[in-house]
Amino acid sequence: MCGILAVLGCSDDSQAKRVRVLELSRRLKHRGPDWSGLYQHGDCYLSHQRLAIIDPASGDQPLFNEDKTIAVTVNGEIYNHEELRQRLTNHKFRTGSDCDVIAHLYEEYGENFIDMLDGVFSFVLLDTRDNSFIAARDAIGVTSLYIGWGLDGSIWISSELKGLNDDCEHFETFPPGHLYSSKLGGFRQWSNPPWFSEAIPSTPYDPLVLRRAFENAVIKRLMTDVPFGVLLSGGLDSSLVASITARHLAGTKAARQWGTQLHSFCVGLEGSPDLKAAREVADYLGTLHHEFYFTVQDGIDAIEDVIYHIETYDVTTIRASTPMFLMSRKIKSLGVKMVISGEGSDEIFGGYLYFHKAPNKEELHQETCRKIKALHQYDCLRANKSTSAWGLEARVPFLDKEFINVAMSIDPEWKMIKREEGRMEKWVLRRAFDDEEHPYLPKRILYRQKEQFSDGVGYGWIDGVKAHAAENVTDKMMQNAAYIFPHNTPTTKEAYYYRMIFERFFPQNSARLSVPGGASVACSTAKAVEWDAAWANNLDPSGRAALGVHLSAYEPQPPQPPATSAADVSSNVIDTIPGINEVTTSPGLAIITQ
Amino acid sequence: MCGILAVFGCIDNSQAKRSRIIELSRRLRHRGPDWSGLHCHEDCYLAHQRLAIVDPTSGDQPLYNEDKTIIVTVNGEIYNHKALREKLKSHQFHTGSDCEVIAHLYEEYGENFVDMLDGMFSFVLLDTRDKSFIAARDAIGITPLYMGWGLDGSIWFASEMKALSDDCERFMSLLPGHIYSSKQGALRRWYNPPWFSEQIPSAPYDPVTLRQAFEKAVLKRLMTDVPFGVLLSGGLDSSLVAAVASRHLAGSEVACQWGSQLHTFCIGLKGSPDLKAAKEVADYLGTRHHEFYFTVQEGIDALEEVIYHIETYDVTTVRASTPMFLMSRKIKSLGVKMVLSGEGSDEIFGGYLYFHKAPNKEEFHQETCRKIKALHLYDCLRANKSTSAWGVEARVPFLDKEFINVAMSIDPEWKMIRPDLGRIEKWVLRNAFDDDQDPYLPKHILYRQKEQFSDGVGYSWIDGLKDHANKQVTDAMLMNASFVYPENTPTTKEAYYYRTIFEKFFPKNAARSTVPGGPSVACSTAKAVEWDAAWSNNLDPSGRAALGVHVAAYEEAVDVEPANLMNGAHPMQKGF
Repeated sequence: MCGILAVLGCSDDSQAKRVRVLELSRRLKHRGPDWSGLYQHGDCYLSHQRLAIIDPASGDQPLFNEDKTIAVTVNGEIYNHEELRQRLTNHKFRTGSDCDVIAHLYEEYGENFIDMLDGVFSFVLLDTRDNSFIAARDAIGVTSLYIGWGLDGSIWISSELKGLNDDCEHFETFPPGHLYSSKLGGFRQWSNPPWFSEAIPSTPYDPLVLRRAFENAVIKRLMTDVPFGVLLSGGLDSSLVASITARHLAGTKAARQWGTQLHSFCVGLEGSPDLKAAREVADYLGTLHHEFYFTVQDGIDAIEDVIYHIETYDVTTIRASTPMFLMSRKIKSLGVKMVISGEGSDEIFGGYLYFHKAPNKEELHQETCRKIKALHQYDCLRANKSTSAWGLEARVPFLDKEFINVAMSIDPEWKMIKREEGRMEKWVLRRAFDDEEHPYLPKRILYRQKEQFSDGVGYGWIDGVKAHAAENVTDKMMQNAAYIFPHNTPTTKEAYYYRMIFERFFPQNSARLSVPGGASVACSTAKAVEWDAAWANNLDPSGRAALGVHLSAYEPQPPQPPATSAADVSSNVIDTIPGINEVTTSPGLAIITQ
Repeated sequence: MCGILAVFGCIDNSQAKRSRIIELSRRLRHRGPDWSGLHCHEDCYLAHQRLAIVDPTSGDQPLYNEDKTIIVTVNGEIYNHKALREKLKSHQFHTGSDCEVIAHLYEEYGENFVDMLDGMFSFVLLDTRDKSFIAARDAIGITPLYMGWGLDGSIWFASEMKALSDDCERFMSLLPGHIYSSKQGALRRWYNPPWFSEQIPSAPYDPVTLRQAFEKAVLKRLMTDVPFGVLLSGGLDSSLVAAVASRHLAGSEVACQWGSQLHTFCIGLKGSPDLKAAKEVADYLGTRHHEFYFTVQEGIDALEEVIYHIETYDVTTVRASTPMFLMSRKIKSLGVKMVLSGEGSDEIFGGYLYFHKAPNKEEFHQETCRKIKALHLYDCLRANKSTSAWGVEARVPFLDKEFINVAMSIDPEWKMIRPDLGRIEKWVLRNAFDDDQDPYLPKHILYRQKEQFSDGVGYSWIDGLKDHANKQVTDAMLMNASFVYPENTPTTKEAYYYRTIFEKFFPKNAARSTVPGGPSVACSTAKAVEWDAAWSNNLDPSGRAALGVHVAAYEEAVDVEPANLMNGAHPMQKGF
């Protein structure tokens, strides 16, 4: 990832303003530690902090078209850039950067080229010929982006909120799949895939089509000129990513440069379920596996930093981001700059346990659509910002444009969980990779129900954070919570604790409005809470106990004494936790030889 | 390098205090991006931000002795740690870190072990058995260390000023070669080499002894578990470092891990003299050479950040740090964590051009001693902080303890510049590496007079800086300078400009007092200004023209700074 910041039309081209923009851009330096650039044209500033993944030697930004009339600052990866270059045969490119195509595409096609890009991106493009600009964000919001407005009439666009919150009167999350055009003076949705309408699809399930689509999505993401690895938590999603990557690594350009043995990374408290599960998968695949341990105290000490980086007070996002944040630092210290991660699968396939209670295929499908549309506020935000905090880039093949189209066109009847037919959650995905002759994963892993939420990193982690919050937030504070925080009022001491930290870093009203809230059970949207009458009275982030659908709920309890998990999940705590997310924390550790 | 922060006796051991210490420690994270640690013992905190160079997998800090009663947070490299471990046979070590010996040495020898360490270091050690602590800094001050006092009676130590300046009522740079002991409640100098008294030595010059001492100094510094390289400006000093490193790399442990081709790095404006000179040396040595270019605008845009990082308003230090700062970012982005650099040679051998005017060997020698003692305020500060800003560690073989002892015991008669005998500046060093059979460098490089100061990165760099400052600072501002800044008053617009930036980041009185001032000509100390009566009227940072001793001054007078520019700038330092 890189960090971008653009200030447009601020009626001030003084040295003081330039220095201010430089200063604000430095707040995004963690995203792009390798180099920085600032392009100023009158009262418009485009700045960039670069993480060099493709063409480290020449791809410094901002980038330009031939005659330098069009400047663009980009955070992202354009996987089909070589193909796009071929279409632009009459254009001369200055760098080998994958993002170089954007300025040229604009020159050729005006504002309507965005859907031609296959990848993840946020960019701002300035056309100095008429002083117009456009800004756009990828379809799902894999990259982060904010937009703000200054009292002087300026428009600000920044990869993270901290790049603009102090200088804008109002700001908000830049909607994924949208384009802001200065000519239009507003937003326009450029991404309009078939599933967006939430109409129920009817294509029959074809395991091979799904498998191929996912393999393609992974292969695309092996485009890199620097060392990389995979985050492996040992669950289905990250294990599939690792398995496919390991299988296809041999033939790639990346392998020639960095070796054919795949690095995989996992984080957890010592002895945690994820560490064990990931180790098993790593052994099977023969990856160069790195385990990383953290202590509850390490995690607690990092929380302020985590919240500063991820810019949310959503409870499960913070819980899950912390181990990922710690692991990212270790991965980076080993010289690895990019990791592939498994986010998005649970949304697309209805992998959360509450999907067991989906009343019919229509409801299930619509819930998956809603979940995908909300990803940018939860798992995408976590995956992007926890890693970018240390100059590490996370790539998420499950959120490939093509793959989503394929997976979301399947008749949702196939995604319904039917115990009687042996179909557990995410069965269509599992089945697609169930290859007897040439197995991707051993069956027991392929059909394993994984720890959900942050439990995987170790049962002690969430207990530890809760205990810490309870020491620092008094009952009296909780009593007044609704007066102090009328918007998205925290209902637990843990939530209150996170909120205090968030407000200290981001005191503006716009900042607190950028974080989602509302009723949720075990990561569901508010709408899906209606699926079970009992849920409305029992909103809890850790769904396992509340839902009673995890296999282990019928079996002997996990290592930790049940008392602990029960207290943790204490079913009568009413917890209007803001939309919850899966916390399949897939962290890891890496090593790389330069 | 790493970043350390320690606070003792702050009365408060609340969660809020812990959070505050963590927050302050994060201000040093650029120095140690790889991991961080905090040890809290009652009202004592030792924090660490780690750059993992030796034993990346297990050496996280703070470090302990066996029973964890002694805790130490260290920024540094102990080159003789293996030899020291041998002496500590009865001790059990937890990690492979070179710094772990410190806790064990303390256990064995009490507070008197510091001189046993061969390396560069700043550390703080807490003995929980009696709640005493010590803090120490290496002989020359290659690593930075600041000490401060809080209103609550607390004592603070930090690698950089920014970690303690907001929370201490007073603070200062902890003197190099000194140790602070809480039992004594005072600083004591542990470093006491023969040259420190400034007496005139008489050992005859032996080229081979000098050569061997330097080769050893370079060799020691190849101790690393991560990729590294050499900063190569193409001048004598960096070229010698590169030549020696390249020659010894093949046989070293590190070559097995990272390959035997040495990486070298150079930065400059496009077409600059350094780039050309370095390329020539790199080609000769067959290194894998990386050139980086910057523009004057990029340099100017970086100034605020540079001053924030290096924590000085000294004009030549800022000028020379900026390209080094930009280059370090690029070096780091290539995955390189450590570089060898040539600082210190000009101080030890009297390499600055003003040494041409040294009246006699006694004055010459004493000036070199003064220069070495001041290194921590100038070139050591620059080399350490410009690189640490991006998590790159600079190692400086010329400042090896042994090597300094050898070089400073030579009868200074040999160091005197004698055009009549064909001896140009630093002749003893050049001659030591003049090996006809197995040449380290071609003769024309070995005997080349290099661009001094920041000229090497491109003549327009300093002009660009001055132009920029002239636009930002008005005549009226400069007229009132002595009222606004009574201490170390800036006398040029450029100095005024740097000062305003410095004051913005570090507004306290104590901060401005950590920066040296006083008259200087072309990097001389105030004392050496007396060598030439003309100089005191003509204090200018770029010494070439003022001194009229550079060979090029006899040739063509292009790009020379106006010699009559009055400039009471602070002691100047050579650019890298």
